[in-house]
Amino acid sequence: MTDAVVLAVVVPLLGGVVSLAAGLRFDRSGWAVATVACLVQVGLALVVFASVLTGGRVSYALGGFAPPAGIELVADGLSAPVLVLVAAVSLAVLVYARRAGPRGNAFYTVYLLLVGGLAGVTLTGDVFNMYVFLEITGLAAYALVASGDSARSAVAGLKYLIVGTIGASLFLLGVGYAYVATGTLNMADLSTQLAAVGYDSRLVLAAFGLLVTGLLVKVALFPVHSWQPDAYTFAPDSVSVLISALVSTVSAYAVARIVFSVFTVDFLAAVPAARTALVYAAAVSIVAGSALAVVQSEIKRMLAYSSVSQFGMIVAAVAIATESAAVGGLVHLVGHAVLKGGLFAAAGVVAARTGARTLDDYAGLAGRTPVAAGAVAVLGLGLVGVPPAVGFVGKWYIAVGAVESGTWVVAAVILASTLLTLAYVARVIERMYFAGGSVESGPSRPVAGVSTDGGDSATEPDEAPVSPGMVAVVVLAAVAAVALGFAASGIESLLEPTLAEVFGA
Amino acid sequence: VTEVASLRPLAAVLVSAGAIPLILASYRRPNLREAWTMLAAVAKVALVGSMVPGVLAGDTYVTDLGSFVADVGFVLRVDALGLLFGLLASGLWVVTSLYSVGYMRGLDEHDQTRYFAAFAASLATAIGVAFAANLVTLFVFYELLTVATYPLVAHDESEEARAAGRKYLAYTFLGGVAVLTGTVLVFWAAGTTTFAAGGIVGLATADPAVARLAFALLAGGFGVKAALMPAHSWLPDAMVAPTPVSGLLHAVAVVKSGVFGIARVALDVFGPGTMRELGVGLPLAAVATFTLLTASVIALRKDNLKRRLAYSTISQLSYIVLGLGVLSGNAIVGGLLHIPAHAFMKLTLFFCAGAIHVETHTDDISEMAGIGRRMPLTMVAFAVASAGMAGIPLLAGFVSKWYLLIGSVEAGQAVFAVALLASGMLNIAYFWPIVYQAFFERPEARDEKPLLSGAFGGRFARAGAAGTGGTDEAGVVRADGSGSGDGDGSGSGDGAESRDAYEPVAGDHEDHADGEGHGHHGGPPEGGWERRGWTGGESTWFMLGPILAAAAGAVALGVVPAAALFLRIVRTVAANVGVVA
Repeated sequence: MTDAVVLAVVVPLLGGVVSLAAGLRFDRSGWAVATVACLVQVGLALVVFASVLTGGRVSYALGGFAPPAGIELVADGLSAPVLVLVAAVSLAVLVYARRAGPRGNAFYTVYLLLVGGLAGVTLTGDVFNMYVFLEITGLAAYALVASGDSARSAVAGLKYLIVGTIGASLFLLGVGYAYVATGTLNMADLSTQLAAVGYDSRLVLAAFGLLVTGLLVKVALFPVHSWQPDAYTFAPDSVSVLISALVSTVSAYAVARIVFSVFTVDFLAAVPAARTALVYAAAVSIVAGSALAVVQSEIKRMLAYSSVSQFGMIVAAVAIATESAAVGGLVHLVGHAVLKGGLFAAAGVVAARTGARTLDDYAGLAGRTPVAAGAVAVLGLGLVGVPPAVGFVGKWYIAVGAVESGTWVVAAVILASTLLTLAYVARVIERMYFAGGSVESGPSRPVAGVSTDGGDSATEPDEAPVSPGMVAVVVLAAVAAVALGFAASGIESLLEPTLAEVFGA
Repeated sequence: VTEVASLRPLAAVLVSAGAIPLILASYRRPNLREAWTMLAAVAKVALVGSMVPGVLAGDTYVTDLGSFVADVGFVLRVDALGLLFGLLASGLWVVTSLYSVGYMRGLDEHDQTRYFAAFAASLATAIGVAFAANLVTLFVFYELLTVATYPLVAHDESEEARAAGRKYLAYTFLGGVAVLTGTVLVFWAAGTTTFAAGGIVGLATADPAVARLAFALLAGGFGVKAALMPAHSWLPDAMVAPTPVSGLLHAVAVVKSGVFGIARVALDVFGPGTMRELGVGLPLAAVATFTLLTASVIALRKDNLKRRLAYSTISQLSYIVLGLGVLSGNAIVGGLLHIPAHAFMKLTLFFCAGAIHVETHTDDISEMAGIGRRMPLTMVAFAVASAGMAGIPLLAGFVSKWYLLIGSVEAGQAVFAVALLASGMLNIAYFWPIVYQAFFERPEARDEKPLLSGAFGGRFARAGAAGTGGTDEAGVVRADGSGSGDGDGSGSGDGAESRDAYEPVAGDHEDHADGEGHGHHGGPPEGGWERRGWTGGESTWFMLGPILAAAAGAVALGVVPAAALFLRIVRTVAANVGVVA
């Protein structure tokens, strides 16, 4: 079963090549190839998940070179759920993108490259290899953001490219420092070697700072989030769904991986300054992201800033570094991906059907697109943390962790973040359901014929702008957001062995 | 106490949740839609009622749905305290559903499907609150109740309703955050959040500072929905909702979920013993006393009937909290008994206000002189219920207040008894003029009500007060009997009451329909109120029936409290906690 671990990375990458090759002969083969690849990917992810569930940590030595010299792929309680998330969301977005666009073989080739990169970051057990996959992910994401029609997509893609590359460079620099300090790149090996070098070594401290800062750029924590709102807002709707659900999520996973598996909680205990810095950066991000979200008038941009805030919570969970907080961080990582991806998908459905893209356009929306409006309401409330949706469960664990560790400031910020989130979510819900009477009935912009989503071919005029599949994805996300709330204790038991290792219990 | 594994608690929660899709699906056929509501209401009260004999015999019914977060299970458990709230909410839902049909159709309201669906959701979550077996499960339903009620508050879709909805969400979610924080602290300090009659053992030995903080957060958080001052101001604003909502949710289910939460915290999380050790009972009782007196004073100056009732609710809810803060056996019995007592009386009053609104589109008390001719049965029911509010014997309010009085004297805190008596006087002061003018005055010949509408300070203030601010504005306008200023007398020291300030003072009846927005002319028609008979000609039986049923409940609780179920349930609660034998 260990082959599934490497196949989960290889299959999407190979699919990308196949998609490109088939494109030489067939015009529209991209979607089919991508779907097959993603279906296989989901199967592989489930196999990996099942074997972690039954047998614990799974390791694969690439090319038969034994670690620490060779590159290792690792699936454990932390990476397996993220892998399943990557696979499932990529498949769902394909269903969505078939009608919503963009289309063309080039798009699906890059799409599969992104999926392969994400799976690679998730599974790798080697820091330099992680850099490689981060770059694959990044380059694919820049291209996807820029695949929109408008010039603003291109500019957003460029901005993302520049800032993202800076982040990646910092990460690479950090890898270099760690290598100079220890002479190894394998994560498991690094964790012991770094301890041997000593946590007060400047090389080690610099490595930590550079690695984590580089990743936080990719996570888009305040104040290094500046690429993210533009990228989310101006990307085609399908791409917004994919990158909002996965790219920052996997980067945040990488932060957890670097902190827990490479530097370990002992490092955090030995260097309180590192922990304090992370905790406060996260707390500031929670507040600033929400504050910025509240003042937005465009829905996608508001959701983008909301991510800045929510990822602050996840980084806070990593920095708090107790078992409860780690569970909460993982639950919120997965839960937020479902919630935010679902919200972007719903926003895309609404835009395609009614042309509504701003808060004012959403007035009276419940009458025009009841299903999408209902999904936005459910997902939004989930994001606020109304139980029993998954947003509450993550918050509960993180708050318990914060209280246990005595980081009272974070505990207060996390609990108060409910109100901050409510501030922007309630505005949308109120517009949708209770503003029908007084505000004139939304925009009358026609959408047919105008491809807001771009891509190689515009939506044909005789085709409905929204397919049942797109609506199904939105509804599925809403259902999953509530259902996952009850599955969280399962995640905890899955994570148990990994946590025992991390926290040395 | 034997625990009986049973699906009945879960079914009682889900029966109205299951009705929601049916209600939504039959939006084209109103009669079928309302049939689903009635069916769910009857099934719910039957399910809850079927557990009464067992619970009185000492059993508890438990549905364990497994682990939810960490070591906390998602568990529903019906004990005596939960049954008290559950039985009350589900029983009164039947009555309110009938009334809703009459009210919503009488006003030809929009979005009735959403209204009935949200109502069913509110009841499902309210029963969830009642039957939750630990703080986390309680919190889940508590937050869902907030969400389910929001569409009812903002139902009108006017700017005023939206503002009230925003305020409602902001206040109650703030309370929710406090409750969640308190829950996390309890979990951290005691390792469990499961309710235990008489208190969680682990909390008694926890760090007192943490325990006090947890208590303050929990009581304060639940206190938002219980409308404890200063977190009360969402409630008067929420009166913009349709009257059945004000009646069942904002006098019974929602506000009492807050009171119920405080009761759970006091009796089953901390327990009277630990509360005494921590010394947190007295501050709670003090806040409650401040609230019940201040709200009564503010109620005096409210001319809008529903707003006056809202302040009366704020005041009466604090009777219950006071009982829980005083902590003696009889005080607890009295406080808990006031939950059903106040429910029956206040539901009657709101139903009357709604019937008056539907029939005559009158919302302001100053326009109700002589209305007893037009709506005799309604106003008789109103008189009975308001007498009960003041604590007149043979009515529900007397019995609970009696227990509260002797309870606070027993506990050596007679000052609270004095406050209760003072509040009773104030109740008479703001209710009696309504009843008096309804029967003994006519629109063209009515006396001034100096206590309610005159300038503070009486004739001395009147002499030198011309044009010196808001206080005399109300008084001057009122003098000719046709003004429609809100009678707010903005000297009440309630800065958050900005809503009143928006209302036109110039006597524009058109905009004064409490945001119901139908533009009807309120007040008596030309030539005074016509006389209607005593046989129901004043309204439909859809509304009169529920009014009389609720009033009958209030009388039954007062005349034969021992035979009425609620006193037995309350005594069982107190016995479980160990404060009475």
